[in-house]
Parts: sequence; C-alpha cells; structure tokens
Amino acid sequence: MPNPIEDRRPPITPQLAVRVAVLGGVAFVLFAIIFFRLWFLQVLTGDEYVSQARENRVRKVKIEAPRGNIVDRNGRTLVKTRAAPVVQILPNSVPDEETEAADEYRTALASAEGARLKAAEDLKALERRLSGKRRKPTKAQKAERRRLRKASSRAERVAIPPIPADAPELRALYRRLGKVIDLPPRTIHKRVVAGLADQPGANVTIKTDVPPEAFNFLLEHRDEFPGVVVEKKYLRYYPHDELGAQLFGTLREISPEELKEKRYRGLEQGTRIGKDGIEETYDKYLRGTDGFTRVIVNSMGSRDDTRTATRVPPIQGRQLQLTLDLGLQREANDAMAQAIDAANGNFNPAKAGAFVAMDPRNGEVLALGSYPSFDANLFAKPIDQKTYERLNSEDEGAPLFNRAISAGYPTGSTFKPITALAAMEDGILTPTTVLNDPGVFRYGGREFKNAGDAVFGSLALPRALQVSSDVFFYQLGASLNERGPVIQDWARKLSFGKPTGIDLPGEYGGLVPDRKWRDKGFAEYQKCAKKAKVPVGTQAALFACGGIERPWAGGDNVNLAVGQGDLQATPLQLATAYAALANGGRVVTPHLGQEVQDGAGRQLEEIRKPLARKVDIDTPDLDAIRSGLLAAATQAGGTSVDVFEGFPYPVHGKTGTAERQPNADQSWYACWVDDPTRPIVVVVTVEEGGFGAEAAAPAARLILEKWFGVRGGEFVQGASRTQ
Amino acid sequence: MSSATTPIQPASEPPPALVPREWRLRLDPLLLLAVLGLVACSIVTLKGATRLDVEGQPDFYVYRQALYAGVGLVLMYVVSRIDYTRLQDLRFVVYGVLIASLLLTLGLATATRGAKAWIELPFFTLQPSEFGKVLLVVSLAGFLVSRMRLMGRQTTARILLLGLIPTMLVMAENDLGSALVYGVGILALLFIAGAPWRHFAALGALFAVAIAIVLVGAPAVGVQVLQDYQKDRLTSFLEPSADPADAGYQQQQSKIAIGSGEKTGRGVENATQTQLDYLPEHHTDFIFAVVGETYGFVGCALVLSLYALLIWRALHILTIAKNLYGALLAGGITVMLLFQLFVNVGMNVGIMPITGVTAPLLSAGGSSMLATFLAVGLLQSINAQARETAAGKGRATIFE
Repeated sequence: MPNPIEDRRPPITPQLAVRVAVLGGVAFVLFAIIFFRLWFLQVLTGDEYVSQARENRVRKVKIEAPRGNIVDRNGRTLVKTRAAPVVQILPNSVPDEETEAADEYRTALASAEGARLKAAEDLKALERRLSGKRRKPTKAQKAERRRLRKASSRAERVAIPPIPADAPELRALYRRLGKVIDLPPRTIHKRVVAGLADQPGANVTIKTDVPPEAFNFLLEHRDEFPGVVVEKKYLRYYPHDELGAQLFGTLREISPEELKEKRYRGLEQGTRIGKDGIEETYDKYLRGTDGFTRVIVNSMGSRDDTRTATRVPPIQGRQLQLTLDLGLQREANDAMAQAIDAANGNFNPAKAGAFVAMDPRNGEVLALGSYPSFDANLFAKPIDQKTYERLNSEDEGAPLFNRAISAGYPTGSTFKPITALAAMEDGILTPTTVLNDPGVFRYGGREFKNAGDAVFGSLALPRALQVSSDVFFYQLGASLNERGPVIQDWARKLSFGKPTGIDLPGEYGGLVPDRKWRDKGFAEYQKCAKKAKVPVGTQAALFACGGIERPWAGGDNVNLAVGQGDLQATPLQLATAYAALANGGRVVTPHLGQEVQDGAGRQLEEIRKPLARKVDIDTPDLDAIRSGLLAAATQAGGTSVDVFEGFPYPVHGKTGTAERQPNADQSWYACWVDDPTRPIVVVVTVEEGGFGAEAAAPAARLILEKWFGVRGGEFVQGASRTQ
Repeated sequence: MSSATTPIQPASEPPPALVPREWRLRLDPLLLLAVLGLVACSIVTLKGATRLDVEGQPDFYVYRQALYAGVGLVLMYVVSRIDYTRLQDLRFVVYGVLIASLLLTLGLATATRGAKAWIELPFFTLQPSEFGKVLLVVSLAGFLVSRMRLMGRQTTARILLLGLIPTMLVMAENDLGSALVYGVGILALLFIAGAPWRHFAALGALFAVAIAIVLVGAPAVGVQVLQDYQKDRLTSFLEPSADPADAGYQQQQSKIAIGSGEKTGRGVENATQTQLDYLPEHHTDFIFAVVGETYGFVGCALVLSLYALLIWRALHILTIAKNLYGALLAGGITVMLLFQLFVNVGMNVGIMPITGVTAPLLSAGGSSMLATFLAVGLLQSINAQARETAAGKGRATIFE
C-alpha cells in the first residue's frame, strides 16, 4: 500500500477547506450571538437586572410601631401599649399532611355552615307553610320545626382531625414546643389547623404573652424548633380593666376592603388598625408609623445578619387625651352597680344600665358607659369564641353593648320637659297656664292614668314637672296631636331621632314616632301581610311582617308626651337635650377626643369640635322648665327631693319610669347642676330597675357627689312612685 | 484530489532552530495562552464565588481547581509529546474502554441532580462521560480513517451506529448534556471526514422525527424517554418565567446575575446573586453567570475572547494537521468544545435550555478539567507533529 492515506502529509483538500470555513463561520456566528446577548443583558438592560437583584435579596421586615396611649382629662393613663412575646409557626414550615388537614377542616367548616343556612331556609319555609294553614301543626311538624330551629341556630361543630400519624417530626416538634410554652401538643395542632384554615399563608399564632423564660429559651434554641418564630408584639394594656371598656374599641389587622379606603391610604397589609370606639375614630393619631429594616436574605430565605442593612425606626403613635374623667367614670361604674343592687333589692330583675356625664357648655363627655362592663384586656390578645359569646350574651347583660350610645329606649317622664317646651313654643301653653289633673285622662276611648293613681288637681307647668303629673302632659299630647308633629319637631331639634354625632362609631339614631312613620310602616305591613297571605293583626302577620300593626292614633302622641310608647332614645341623646336646657338652647355635639399630645403630654393639636347648634327658646319658657326641674329635686313634693336631700348644689332633675312590657319598668334620671366652673349633665338609666327615684336618681347623686367633691357616698333611694 | 493552491495554507515555516530542539516545548503558544487564561479566570472566579460554600475552607474549590489544572497541564504536556497517530491503531481498545467505563458507571454511579454519571472514588468523583468525549473522538476518528476510501452511506451509518452506542449509554445515565455533546462530536467527525451534505440533510429529518416521537409520540403511548426534570429544563427555556420556583427559576436568576453585572461588574462582595445563593450551581453550570455578575461585560468579554482564541487555534491546528486522522481529531475536539461553551454560555444568558453542560476549563470539576486538558494535549500533539513534519519531513517520536 504505497503512500497510505493516513501517513501522508495531506495538502488540505478543497472540501476540507470549505468545511473548516463553515465551522469557522458557525463559530463566528455563535460568538457573535453570545456577544450581542451579553451586550443586551449587561449594557442595555443592566439597570433592570440590578433592581431585580436587589429585590431578590432585600426583604423589608416591618417593625410595628407602638400605638399612642390614651389618657383622661387629667392625664391619667387609660390605655397603653406593652410589648408581649408571641410564639408563631410559619405556614410553609409545617408538613403537607398538616396543610391538608387544614384544608379538610376548612371544607368541613364551610359545609357545616352551608347546612346551617339550609336549615334556616327550611325552617322559614316550614313556618310559612304552617302559618298559611289554619290547622294546628301536627306533632311531626312540631318535631321537625324543633329540629330545624336547633340546626339553624348554630352550625354543627367540626372536629379538628388528629395530628397526622405519618408526621412523627411534627408530633415531636409540637411535643417539645408544648413543653416550653405549656400547651398540650394537641392544642398546638388544633391552633395550627384552625389558623391555617382561617388564613392560609399567614403565620399562625400559637400563644400570645408567653413567659419571658420560655421566650428566651425559644430564642436561644432556634435550631431545635424549625418553623417556630418568637417575636415581640405590641399589645394594648388597659390598667383600669373594665372602666370605659366599651369606649376604646379593639385592634385588628386591616382588611383588604379597608386598604382601599382613603383614610387608610399608604398602609400595608398586616397593619393593625383600631376597630370600634376611640381606637377607630382617632386611628390616624394613635396609629404610629411602622418602621422597617431591610434585611438581606439568601435564596433559602434565611437572614444574613453579617451584611449591613438599613433600618428605619418605627414612630410611636400620638397620645390622645380624652375629655373623660377617670375618677368620675369609676364612680359612675360603681354607682351603676349599687343601683342594680338596689333595684334587685326592690325585686326588680335589673342587671344592665348606662350612664352619661357631660359638660353642658361644650359637650365634653366626662363619663360614659354601659353596665355591666368587661375587662378590656380580654381583647388585647386573641379572644376565644366562648369568652366572646359570653360577652355578647343577653344573660350576662351583653357587656360589649354600649347602651349609652347604642341602645334606644322610651325615656319615660324625663321626656316631659321636651313636651312642655314644644307646647309653650307652639303657643298652646304658657308658664302660668293652669290645667286640671283629676288623676285620669280619657282619650280615644282609653283611660290614661297617673302612676300610682295620684291626683294632683290644678297645676301649672313648673308644678307639673315637680310632681311629674302625667295627666297634665297627656292633655298637652292630645292637644298637640291636632297641631301636627310639634313634639316630634322639638324632640328632633333637641337631638332625638338621629345620632348626636359623638366621636364613637356605632351610635344609634333612635326613633321619634310620628304620624308619617307609623302610617308608612302600617302600609308596608298591610302590603306584606297580603303578599304572605296572612290575616292582618295575627301573630303570624307579626312574625312575617313586623310590628306596625295599626296606623297613627292620637293616643300615640299622648304616650309620646310622657316619653312612652314607640319613642327610642339613647341615654346620650337625653343628656344632650338636657344640656341644651341647661345652657339656654345650644345643642352641643358630645365628644370624647380632647387633644393630640406628644409622649410627654404636651399639646400638639387640638381636636376640632363641631359647633353647637342654637335653638331659639323664649327665656320665660325655659325658666319655667328650669324652675320645675329644680323644684323636682329640691322642693317638698318633688319626685327626687328625698334622693337629693342635703346635697349642697342646686340640682335640676327629672325622674323617669319607662314601661317596657313585658319587661319590668326602666328606671331613668336626667339632671344637671348649674355651676360657674363645673357645670354637669348626668343621665342614668337602669334597665328593669323600677322607678326612676329608686335606682337611677341615687346613682346620679353619687356621680354628682364625686364630681363636686361632696362627701356622702350613700346610696339614697327615693320614695317617688311616679313615671 | 489534492491541489497545491488551496485557500487555507498550512503553516509551513519551520521554527527557527536557535534554541536546541529538546528545550522547546513545541506547544502552540496561543493555544496554551488561551488555556492558561481560562484556567486563571476559573480560579479567580471560583475564589470569589465559592468562598462561603464550604464552611471553614474558603478556598476549597480554588485548591481543587488549581490541583486539577496542574495535573491537567502535566497531562496535556505528556499527551502533546505522544504521536497521536498511534492512537489510531488503538481504536478498538479505546472504544472498548469507552463502552466499559460507561457501563461501569451505570452500574456504580451515584445519582446527582437526577443524573447518574458519577463514580465516587476516595479523593475524586469520576465522571467517565467527560473522558468519554475524548475517547469517543479518538476511536471514531480511527474508524473513520480506516474506512476513508469507502466514504459513503455505509460508512456514515456505521460511524453513527458506533457513536450512538456510547451516546445511548450516556443518555441512560440521564446525562442529557453529555449525550448531546457526543452526538454533536459524531456529526462533526462525519462533517470533517467529508460525508455528503445529503447525509446531514437526512440526519436532520430523522432527528426532527425523533424529537417529535420523544416529546409527543412516546408520552402519548406512555413511554417516557426524557425524564420529567429534563423536559422541564428544555421547555422552561421556551417560557423562562412560567415557573420561577423551578427550572425557569435557575435561568431567571442567571439572567439577573449577568444583567446586574452591567459593564464592569459588581465586585465579589456585592455580587449578591452569587453570594446569597440565588444563583444555583454557581461553581459549575452557572459559573459564567458569576463572571458576568462579578466582572461585568468586561469579564465576560475576556472569557469569551479566550474561548474564541482557543477555538481559533484549534481550527488552525485542524488545518495544519499532518494527516486526516489529526484533522478529524482536531475537528471533533474543536466542535465539541465550541458546542459545550455555546450551550453552557447560552443557557447562562438565557438563550439555550438548561442541559447540564459545563463550561470547559471554567467550571469547577476534575473530570471535565482533565478531559479538556487531554483534548487540548491532543491538539498540541497534532500541532507539534504538524510542525515536526513540516520542519523535518519526518515523524516526531515520543522521546527524541
């Protein structure tokens, strides 16, 4: 084989040359592609990637700002902030089995709620069927109704599945953690599942306010508790427990809807805002500015503390001063307790009431509250369902319910000054007009009597207020009914029938009944009854269509004249009306917010108060009412004179006893004291507390004694049995 | 068949005999420069990128890489002194070693990232598929040369068959990247050997059908040719941001790293993508992105220039090879290197799918480094033989 091909020094063939050239060309193109790509990435769009890299590594970790304190008018702390250690579990650290358990639990909860709603619907349908038929329901139907009632009242309880058996590490973790924070593993598991079901993706708080030893132990042994985070969280602290508990409100995380609202602009998800009460109204002052640290995190999400990071410290919220007087609030709360004791001693089933004390000149609320109250600290931590239900239950007196601003009642005789004012301003009555009170007033085929069948004879307005003659005011009510909604108009002018505008959410506007309201309601009732095919005036109609079963009658106005019937007024509305009587006709806007302060109590900003609305009242008319109310509390024969015996300040006061069948009568007292420096209006009411002089008036005296520093403190029951 | 006036002239100038022959390294200085430059870039980059990777040993990878490079240089020099032509006679042995090592790997390997391509040795994790790249070229080029006269469909088919066996074995190791390199190497050999264009056209058509079967047909009847993670990688490249938590995530992070380097880089301290582990496999598959982040466009341009120099010298050596076997060897090696670096850099800059191909000489890893030095040694040997031949019209021997 001469000149074997493999041994030859090959002159490069044209074919090989072409192919090498092709290879070279391909290499050139590939390099060019990469160069252009690099140019694009690094030079043309490099900035973009720089910021992406920054976003990658920098996590903004929020540092929650403590909220501002709330202090009373004398600077005593009502609400403050304290740091409490909490233990949480990261949602992405729990094994899939646990997450699945949470999903199952959520689905089960939803279906249980669905079943409840279904039962409620079935119940409605069944009752409609039963009421449509004239026949009595059969035994089976009754049983069915009983069953549905039960099913619709509460969703069936859903058991939380046990700790997944195939997650031994999780079980071990719960056991170890439970030992440290003193919770059984099962409870931890339940809280994790419930938390994940409620808010998937959010940290689950296992325990709030763990003892410092446990907190430090967990901090030091972080590695042994994977997925467990401990941190300090700010909690509200209420040093005076139940005092003013209904005024402050609570805190909770901002909802997605609220995030869109203008007043919460700029807040981030997870920010805690005030909900209800002062916390909500003055949230913008109390809420601080959250700070943050930019921490550097690696791809596994763990922090790299060796690298420098910026830190913007949080700014605590402003201190808020209220017009409230802590001492007076305490006294009022105690007085309510005594009033309820006294009422119970009189065999009245009283257990709840409300009080308002206010400066009549400007509407500064000095004390305001509802009894019974609750320990506000219960809401500083996540509250359990049982406690929450207890705080809302009627049997316990619904402590969460702020009766002073949210409950509407007939006010009984405390309404009489308003009737008197309306009659005089309308011209059918003068301060000296004498009417006869024979003890009974016949109107529209009905007999309206004085309480206790008293007979007062001939009397003019001041005397009628002093002794609380019902017949006198029945006559005014009857006469004024011919002249249109005169009482109603004056009641509305003096703040009844709509919210007073106090700086607390959840105020009830009440109701001043008039012809228009009742006639309209009755027309709707008739229409509804016709549609539902139930006869008008039956129980079934009442159930289906509400309570306005008849049109307006003169008797309604007669009832209104003495504060009975359909009238719905809040204690605060009554206090505002009395403040107008006391200050000569200015309707003030009650308020609690006084000023915004720095941490040392120096004023930063005064809270703007709405101007008072002036109501034109002839001075002689007002004087007549004032003298009547003064006589009622200070002169022999007055309804509360025995209660205020020996009280050194001139009290203008009116008792009230509102009928609220089938319940026992509600005890009312509304009064004011003119004083050049410390004038005050006080309204007290005790639900099912009996006569005004028995329960409410003595409580009002205790409040006044406290305010004027008068020694006493005795709960003096009055003997008056007037309405 | 041969002509005196070819467009590409072999370098026929003999080296000036000023220095005694024995003292000269007889290495292509530019090729050596490219290789040393790349190794230097690799070590510098690894020093910054991996200082936090092994606790207490900030220079763990640096030492290892330097050690491999040292061993590799010696290996390269030794190989450069061998007349590569002898390997042609050993083609059956070489092929046998190749197949045996791949089979052994399949038997012994431990799985890493889904692939089963590594054999654990006491001080070294051997990746036979890396050395296989060189062995494949050496043996297949030998087979090709022996059938050169019969260059036709038969030869193409035989070479393809011979090449496909190790390729399938590597596929079986789930080392998709190496399998692709093998495939491209085989094609390169056929290309240099002068297989007709229509063969490539036919192969292209066949390949398209195969892809369709693998990706669409086989899964439809329930046969999975590609592992899920491989398919993920391949498709995530088409939709880079579809799933930032998974395959697309790596590519996204790589692009962020490179882009954020901008013109001059962020420096070692500030290269957060690398330092905080956002960039996966930053010492191996994604080391080019580390260069991009740390040293910017300038750094990338330097590395690419060194690669370009390497490829240029390799192509040059291909043209001066003293025989066809040398040309085939050089061609196969060149194309494999070019393909590896393009696929690797391409996946770093987000224009190629993630296939687990390392950057030659740049990525940390002993097998890859030694195999590349072996290949470069062969190139040097081809170069030396060519110059010997041109100078002395004789054959260079191992130890003169």
